[in-house]
Amino acid sequence: MIKKNVICSFCGCLCDDLSITIEDGKITGVDNGCALANAKFLGKERLLKPVIREGDSIKETEYNTAIEKAADILKDAERPLFFGWSGTQGEAQAKGVHLCMLLGGVIDNTSSLCHGPSILAIQEVGHPGCTLGQVKNRADLIIYWGCNPLEGHPRHMSRYTTYADGFFLKNAFRERKLIVVDVRKTMSSDVADEFIQIEPGGDYAVLSALRAIVRGEEKIIPESVSGVSKSQLKRVADMCKEARFGALFFGLGLTMSKNKYKNIRNAVELTDELSRHTKFTISAMRGHWNVYGANEVFTWMTGYPYAIDFARGIPFYNPGETTAAEILYRKECDALMVVSSDPAAHMPKKCVEHMADIPVIQIDPHKNCTSFFTDVQIPVAITGIEASGTAYRMDGVPLRTKKIIDADFLTDTEVISRIYERILEAKADV
Amino acid sequence: MKFEMITGRTIRQGEFVEHKHSAEYSEETSSCHINPVDMMFLGIMQGDTILLKSVCDEVVMTAFEDSNLKRGSVFVPYGPYCNRIIPNETHGTGMPDFKSSVVAITPTERKVASVYDLFKDIGGREL
Repeated sequence: MIKKNVICSFCGCLCDDLSITIEDGKITGVDNGCALANAKFLGKERLLKPVIREGDSIKETEYNTAIEKAADILKDAERPLFFGWSGTQGEAQAKGVHLCMLLGGVIDNTSSLCHGPSILAIQEVGHPGCTLGQVKNRADLIIYWGCNPLEGHPRHMSRYTTYADGFFLKNAFRERKLIVVDVRKTMSSDVADEFIQIEPGGDYAVLSALRAIVRGEEKIIPESVSGVSKSQLKRVADMCKEARFGALFFGLGLTMSKNKYKNIRNAVELTDELSRHTKFTISAMRGHWNVYGANEVFTWMTGYPYAIDFARGIPFYNPGETTAAEILYRKECDALMVVSSDPAAHMPKKCVEHMADIPVIQIDPHKNCTSFFTDVQIPVAITGIEASGTAYRMDGVPLRTKKIIDADFLTDTEVISRIYERILEAKADV
Repeated sequence: MKFEMITGRTIRQGEFVEHKHSAEYSEETSSCHINPVDMMFLGIMQGDTILLKSVCDEVVMTAFEDSNLKRGSVFVPYGPYCNRIIPNETHGTGMPDFKSSVVAITPTERKVASVYDLFKDIGGREL
């Protein structure tokens, strides 16, 4: 059996044109997928049963026992931290916020380690963005700044930009210009019409120089800015102004390097400046398949997109203080629940050390580095394969992922709901 | 010699990101891409092990020749190896310096640790 138009739940592109071959209830083939999609859909290794750590040994258990244990840990905690959420369905994210609210804990999603700084910049200067459909059909100039889509989002170029013909671009590869800005040559820069290689940490200065040139102040620009020649900057500024519709996509090269959210603010202001000459938009290359959803769900439930502290009984938001990296480094939380993420692999060691001192609950189908610290791990159905669920694409468009095979696993939403109910019952008994 | 360490995603890192206990994931995320001229000055060849030291810790990786990098920068696929030496400072943003950490690199005879060994000494236990 072949299931068509399946949504891939790996990266923020949420490609919705995959064909999945299923034989005897198992996935045996993936068409239209990139290497990352193939690895996801054809992956064999997963945790089959919940596990509980007892001393130095691990023992398999049933869902009820694991959920009971997780609820016991959380109800005894004074300042639990709930982290992850970018690899799960929107419904589970909503339940997670309710759970955190009930316990007066801190809830943060992985955007604090990816595009959190982008959100800080957007809160300052706004987001002149658009959907990927607009880009595909209209944009004749694409800029990838601080990202390498051919490796991070392998089908972004073929579905939405360089290789995707659109309504107003019948031969996109010939008609669209491509500019790549990065500190190193990449697979993506190899196919660019113009590659700007800047010195590490030089993004802010280059963005400022481009803004000045677009404003007609090129006389104040020195001959070289962070390793980029003035002549190249002028050429790029002209390309941008001459475009009918320009789309700038930026990645972690801007959010994780020096100046962090100020880089994004400057990029948004360059977009603003260019929009005085032509139509220009800017969008973040969101990584995990539903990290945008985590921001959406958290925002419509609490008013804030990530790093929300309920200790005061109301949502309090202060990235740099209420973000997961700081809470762990300061050894502030006394329990940690991780949903569909791996902070042990993706946070600095100084933040990870505290995980060994506190009980850790993990809701994830896969063993990962956080599993080395987990006291109870509950495997769940994989959304987009074994369960349906809502996800937000990187441009903010919500899509419904499909269940394509049957499995005997609870969903993230069911597990979190059961933990919530157990805690509610325990609180009622007191 | 001192370098600016940049971390980032690669196709191979992404393929094995849900299989972090695999040899492939360990191999990919412990490879340190270096400009060939810098490798010459370090006196190392592709496949040699190197010690990366930062202000907070040190880790052993495998050198990988990469002429796409400018001299003075090294690239490491994102994962537990680079995070061993990335400082926790976020400058009040919540975001550590994943793409701008200074590291000192020297040749070493030591072997690359397994993913589990990276966590064992800070209280990690095998699952």
